[in-house]
Amino acid sequence: MIKKIEERRILYEHLDVPDINTFDVFRQYDGYTRFEKAIAEYQPDDIAKMVMDSGLKGRGGAGFSTGLKWSFVPKDIKPCYLCCNADESEPGTFSNRYVLEKNPHLLIEGILICCYAMGIETTYIYIRGEFTLGKKMLDAAIKEAYEKGYLGKDIRGTGLNVDIYSHPGAGAYICGEETGLIESLEGKRGQPRNKPPFPAVEGVFMKPTVVQNVETLCNLPFIVGNGVEWYTQMGPTYADTRSDPPTPDPNTGTKLYCISGDVNEPGVYELDLGLTCTELIEVAGGLRGEEVKAVIPGGSSAPILTHYELDTRLDFTSLTLAKSMLGSGGIIVMNETRNIVDCLLNIMKFYAHESCGQCTPCRWGTPWVRDIVQRIADGNGRKDTITRPKFGVAENGRWGDTGETEDIYEDLDLLESVANNIANVDTMTWNTICVFGIAVSWPAVSYLRKFRPEFEAAIREGKLVTLPVAEATVPPEENYAYQQRFIPKEFADL
Amino acid sequence: MALVKLNDLEVEVEDGTNVVEAARQHGIEVPHYCYHPGLTRPANCRMCLVEPHVFFPPAGAIVPDRQLATGCTTVLRTAPPDRKLDGKYDFIVYTDSPRVKKAREDILEFLLVHHPLDCPVCDQAGECDLQDYSYRHGSDKSRYLEVKNVPPKKDLGPDVLLYSTRCVVCTRCIRFCDEVAGSGELGLINRGSHDEIDIPRSHEGTPIQLLDNKLAGNVVDICPVGALISKDFLFKSRPWFMDKANSVCSGCSVGCNITVEYKADGVYRLKPRFHEDINQHWMCDDGRLGYHYVNSDDRLQLPLKRVDDELTPTHWADALTVIQEQLSEVTAEDIVVIGSAQATNEDNYVLQQFAHDVLQTTQLGLFGQLPGEAHKFPQFTIEADKNPNTAGARTILGSANGNVVLEDEALWEKVSNAKVVYLVSGAPERPLEDAEKAALESVEFLIVQDVLPSEVTQLADVVLPGTTFAEKDGTFTNSTGWVQRIRKTIDPPGEARVDWEITQQLAKQLGGEMNYHFAGEIALAITENVPGYADATHQNIGDAGIKLT
Repeated sequence: MIKKIEERRILYEHLDVPDINTFDVFRQYDGYTRFEKAIAEYQPDDIAKMVMDSGLKGRGGAGFSTGLKWSFVPKDIKPCYLCCNADESEPGTFSNRYVLEKNPHLLIEGILICCYAMGIETTYIYIRGEFTLGKKMLDAAIKEAYEKGYLGKDIRGTGLNVDIYSHPGAGAYICGEETGLIESLEGKRGQPRNKPPFPAVEGVFMKPTVVQNVETLCNLPFIVGNGVEWYTQMGPTYADTRSDPPTPDPNTGTKLYCISGDVNEPGVYELDLGLTCTELIEVAGGLRGEEVKAVIPGGSSAPILTHYELDTRLDFTSLTLAKSMLGSGGIIVMNETRNIVDCLLNIMKFYAHESCGQCTPCRWGTPWVRDIVQRIADGNGRKDTITRPKFGVAENGRWGDTGETEDIYEDLDLLESVANNIANVDTMTWNTICVFGIAVSWPAVSYLRKFRPEFEAAIREGKLVTLPVAEATVPPEENYAYQQRFIPKEFADL
Repeated sequence: MALVKLNDLEVEVEDGTNVVEAARQHGIEVPHYCYHPGLTRPANCRMCLVEPHVFFPPAGAIVPDRQLATGCTTVLRTAPPDRKLDGKYDFIVYTDSPRVKKAREDILEFLLVHHPLDCPVCDQAGECDLQDYSYRHGSDKSRYLEVKNVPPKKDLGPDVLLYSTRCVVCTRCIRFCDEVAGSGELGLINRGSHDEIDIPRSHEGTPIQLLDNKLAGNVVDICPVGALISKDFLFKSRPWFMDKANSVCSGCSVGCNITVEYKADGVYRLKPRFHEDINQHWMCDDGRLGYHYVNSDDRLQLPLKRVDDELTPTHWADALTVIQEQLSEVTAEDIVVIGSAQATNEDNYVLQQFAHDVLQTTQLGLFGQLPGEAHKFPQFTIEADKNPNTAGARTILGSANGNVVLEDEALWEKVSNAKVVYLVSGAPERPLEDAEKAALESVEFLIVQDVLPSEVTQLADVVLPGTTFAEKDGTFTNSTGWVQRIRKTIDPPGEARVDWEITQQLAKQLGGEMNYHFAGEIALAITENVPGYADATHQNIGDAGIKLT
């Protein structure tokens, strides 16, 4: 019996209020009061400490602690920039878009609080080129905020200066990677930089830069407005037992889960972190179809979860332990009618197209992986049937070769090997400049390992075959990637 | 200095050295494509991956770092005392661990998936990093079954072709044009596996800007594979059939260090050679392509003398006798001896010794190529003085007591009053102005020593066939005072002789005492008699050159 889960709307609370995108209406719903509270009651360092204590983790994908990221920014180098990542292009993710289109003033308020805390005077919002409406709304809101004196020089007589520039992307997925974004913002080809140095030390125009996702920044007004204690009540906090005594590993706050695929009511749901897959599907109106075949938990680059793993809690820590990731929170549910080979082909086409081509493994590995999957999907996968000399009593009753055969799927081994050569999912090491490499090999290897029978069937039959869920899925005890989940006992529920 | 554990070696390297260079200094090769010591480091080829070892506190031990690091961007520095590894090392890095070897093999596999493997017809074969690294670090088979990308072959400019299929997109050429040449003609087009190097083009594909800067030839040198090819060298020779000699470019007074690549039948190409203070890794196209006259069919091969107003071939003994007869009829005041800024210090030294000791004239001149255009690039300079040895010739011709070295107008005025002029040219392409022509025409007996028929040889009464920079040993002094060696590569054509040998033969003919056997011997005489050149023996100069103090 699954208990009824209620949405907890914080970021999206006033999303449906008519004209919330205008300053006056936003102001009626406590707009900019949190920022005013921040500058009236707190010192910049207090804000940074509150963010650290709140356990807020970056919502863009990596799930890195925001407070920790801020602490890496050198205090003595000015100017320092804030770069808001609104290049939301991960397939299956569409939560930032609603903030930009419907409630852009919330983002501006978050930016103001961040700027106040970090002593930043210039902010760039790198907005996805396809978000034409979002850009229009955002630009209007920025203009309004300037007019009302919440942006520009000497904001509300406090001596604080903040300028916001919105910059549209030119249609490249990789510009959502923070250093690719910075390169693109500087007017160069959107290609990620080598790290270190990280943007916190050398970012936009080689100055210290805080790069934050829209959703992360939108959390700041509520942390400041309602306090750390209120914020940390939401979501689970685990104990990291790798250190002695165990350190808390917070997964606090709400997350904008973008649920799509085979559910009855797809859309963005704001929920506490830490719900399970099953609960989430229930929130989204239940499954469309007979049974769940697979769930992609965090955008198309996240390793897939099988129906055995539906009790995995969808938060940063739990999914990391399950050898997957929450990523951007783009959840795609697949029912029994979906063919995993076809799904992988779709995703690999996307990544082969979006590889920026800067470094060797990704430039030539991603199309190779796509081509192998394409060949398997076309029914041209290679299979070798070899005979192994096995000593035993043969059919003729004499001692010798039993004539037993074993199928070797050469292309599946090749697929796994090539994907692992771009980025090794077992050791979590990559030979590429940025994490795009692992974003390619993660789905490739996890789909293959967890749904190997379907790949084998495609090769064997010479066409795409959708197997029943139970047959298509490799049971957890046979699944290496799944077994890994139980090896590290590093975290425990507090 | 940082103490580094490099594989099993314990080495000291200067702070700021990267792993690739540190390893190279100690004889360990870290394969790389995109890294070039003269350019920035994008670390995009991922070939130079190495394995740093770091201290891992939970284990209390030094363990291999989780990620491999690129050797080109991993800079070695002295660590603070509390961060030393094993109590003393500033850095521990392995370039030959199994992980590194595996990574190299994987990267090479990716590099070769779209490569056409057309080594049999590729100009780079034999000096190709892709070949060499595949041989040393690669796999012996390909697992790639799909269709290969076939991007088009492109004509980038006057001397550069791009075989896009062979390109590994290391972007060295792009960075060279941006950083060294400063003209930025090259860029990447398309994305991902369709990345191509290209010049700016209109939508129809017609070039808007060609790769035609004066340094364009360098992109061919730095291309680690056979993608960028010099039209000048295309299909001329396999690299392994050519011999190489370290030399100096004779195109201008910068004195770029070069390698002359040659076979018995001629010079095939010139390539820049690293010199930190002069040309770094580069040379200009004027110098690079300026060797063709060496192989010319028109080269002077026999001495010529004027018979019935026609220059007719003769033999050396006859030519020298004719000169002897003419010289015996005039006094020292009527003779002008003109040295050449194209000739070596040794040539000029023997010439001034001949003038001073044998002819007993103090009237010397300096001849050479006319000044051309100077070019300044962000990291390179081409000088206006198109002679390799103006500074050296000027000093050495004027080194004996009382010698006056005349140039330009003063020289031509002196020439117009002289009866016999002995002119060593070496600059056959130099045009003569009317006044200069008139001055030379007024000379009763003009002896010209040159390599090709020229405007000067047209006026001569005797022409002596000399040699180019590729056919003799010697030294040049550049505009910044570096004395550097050139080396003999091929034999002079026909009866042509090294310039100082001709002068010495003439001196002997006239009863002078001069007995040099090789250029190094003359250099010794220069060290004794020319101020500033005290250390400039050939042994001291070597390949690196020495700077005059």
